[in-house]
Amino acid sequence: MNTGKVSRITAIALGLALATTMASAQALNSGAQTIALNATLAESLTLSLSANAVNFTLAAGSAANAGSTNITATTTWVLKPGRTSVGVYAYFANAGAALTDGTNNIPSSAFFISDNAGPSTPLNSTVAFGAANGGMPLGTVAITGLNKSASRTDIMAFNINLSGGTLPQLPASVYTGTLNIQAQATP
Amino acid sequence: MSLRLQIGRAGAMLVLAVAALVTGSQAQVLNSGASTITLQAVLSDSLTVSLSGNAVNFTLTPGSANNPGSLGVSATTAWALKPSVGSVKVYAFLASSAAALTDGAGNNIPSADFEISNNAGPFTALTTTVPFGGPNAGLLLSNTRILGNNRSGSHTDLMNFNINLTTLPSLPATTYTGTLTIQAQAI
Repeated sequence: MNTGKVSRITAIALGLALATTMASAQALNSGAQTIALNATLAESLTLSLSANAVNFTLAAGSAANAGSTNITATTTWVLKPGRTSVGVYAYFANAGAALTDGTNNIPSSAFFISDNAGPSTPLNSTVAFGAANGGMPLGTVAITGLNKSASRTDIMAFNINLSGGTLPQLPASVYTGTLNIQAQATP
Repeated sequence: MSLRLQIGRAGAMLVLAVAALVTGSQAQVLNSGASTITLQAVLSDSLTVSLSGNAVNFTLTPGSANNPGSLGVSATTAWALKPSVGSVKVYAFLASSAAALTDGAGNNIPSADFEISNNAGPFTALTTTVPFGGPNAGLLLSNTRILGNNRSGSHTDLMNFNINLTTLPSLPATTYTGTLTIQAQAI
């Protein structure tokens, strides 16, 4: 066998080996099968209170008639994109008669809330809910990309101020009323 | 011996000789030439994946680690492979690790928060780079070693899904959609 023939056989053998190697390294892929994923995060806005009753022992004409307990309002939300604000409000249905004995009234302007240890403020503003001049905003949270799902806590301390107007002459009686706390996400 | 007898005997021998000759020529086999038929049987290599379902829904709870899919999906991988193939791997993957699911408005659920439990194994996030899909957006579901007795075989992966929102507490309320792809590779 001459050298040329040996070279040809060697070249053929190498070619076969290379072809075999290439064939074995080639991956066989299946078709791609897809699964559609659909995840829904529903919008929600809830408010819960730590308690639902406050008592006051009134002193005639006194500016300081503190409530028996503080109440914590926890507002929790999961909001859609586009919401820019969450407001929390305290309000009465009737500004002239926040509390009443059926005849004599304590107006909302004499009912005060100190929110989160802030100044004591009468409920004499017009807010999103309730009567005109019968409410107050407890807090407003600007919604950004970081707090579309978040919460806020308002600790409310209550007081009835009987020093103004005709209230020093308020007759002895039992006065009842309903304070509402409600949140609103806008727009 | 008379001449007539001699002629008769010679004639009889001639008849016998001719008869023997004719009989001999009839017993000889006559063969044609051999014609060949080339036989070729091709068993093509194949690799397919089929899914038991093509849609999964999720009802999300903000910040929750447990948001399971509405159903499990079985991926059945079937193959007929060449002798040179050493393994069949099945992958789950997403096109983008940053936006496995999205609302299309910039709010995304990354693949790191999308989890699959395969065949009742632990839930695992899709954070691996696999042969298909986006970088860091895949998961190896299974790896079947191909031996002499399973060059034609199948494998089933039963997938359960979960979205973990513990790292996304501020995800806004909306609908998020995405596409999970299942694909197999023999190599």
